[in-house]
Amino acid sequence: MTIVQKGRWLVITGLVLLGGVYVRALAFTPVERFQGPAQKIFYVHVPAAVTTELAVILLGLAGVFYLFLKDPRLDRFAEASAEVGTVFAGIVLTTGPIWGKPIWGTWWTWDARLTSTLFLFFLLVGYQVLRGAVTDGGLRARYSAVLGICAVVLVGFIHLSVYLFPTLHPQPIVLKPSKPSLPGDMLITLLMSFGVFVLLYVGFVMQRYAIAMRRAEASHG
Amino acid sequence: MGDQVPQNAGYLMAAYILVPTILIAYAVSLYRRSKGP
Repeated sequence: MTIVQKGRWLVITGLVLLGGVYVRALAFTPVERFQGPAQKIFYVHVPAAVTTELAVILLGLAGVFYLFLKDPRLDRFAEASAEVGTVFAGIVLTTGPIWGKPIWGTWWTWDARLTSTLFLFFLLVGYQVLRGAVTDGGLRARYSAVLGICAVVLVGFIHLSVYLFPTLHPQPIVLKPSKPSLPGDMLITLLMSFGVFVLLYVGFVMQRYAIAMRRAEASHG
Repeated sequence: MGDQVPQNAGYLMAAYILVPTILIAYAVSLYRRSKGP
């Protein structure tokens, strides 16, 4: 089985399991009293956000290691992780406003968390544009590595932005120094969903990595 | 005096349809690119 086929099976499995997460979220997880059913958007919004952060951190790490080791596999992994991270950031930026409208009364507000997340999305799109614009493979990998490292700094800012600035966005309830402040049923559903998003991330990256590898082979003749 | 739970399931449904739509669209895009020249 090739890496593409393995990636495809992981994605198909992930999509089926996402259906399972929906069943668990809708039928076996309590409705939050103040927010109503819309609170259950949490079970896709938060895992997508954390997986985006994970994708960008791995993108930055691959960039750091590439600058030292000059291994093209790291550059290909970074390329794959950035593209998949862009897709997950797109999910965050669409599910967030859909959740925000019934709870905050507005689709969007230009506060630190939302604006910096939008900026991360644009940075990731810019990363793809940069890769498309530079034809020399070595230069492309070096410039991309630097931009990937900048993206990690932005992820740190996004995570801390709810502490540093006044914002409508709630503070972390799981990824924080103290214990998660979430009832057990909700936490289990959240962790299941996070597992599914990580599985989808791995499956997508494997397929995207294989495409990058094939393009590199084609460009070398 | 029970608090009324907000009725906003439409937003939940919209988000729950949108997420797999984006994921499947990207999966199809990867499939087509991996089959391409």
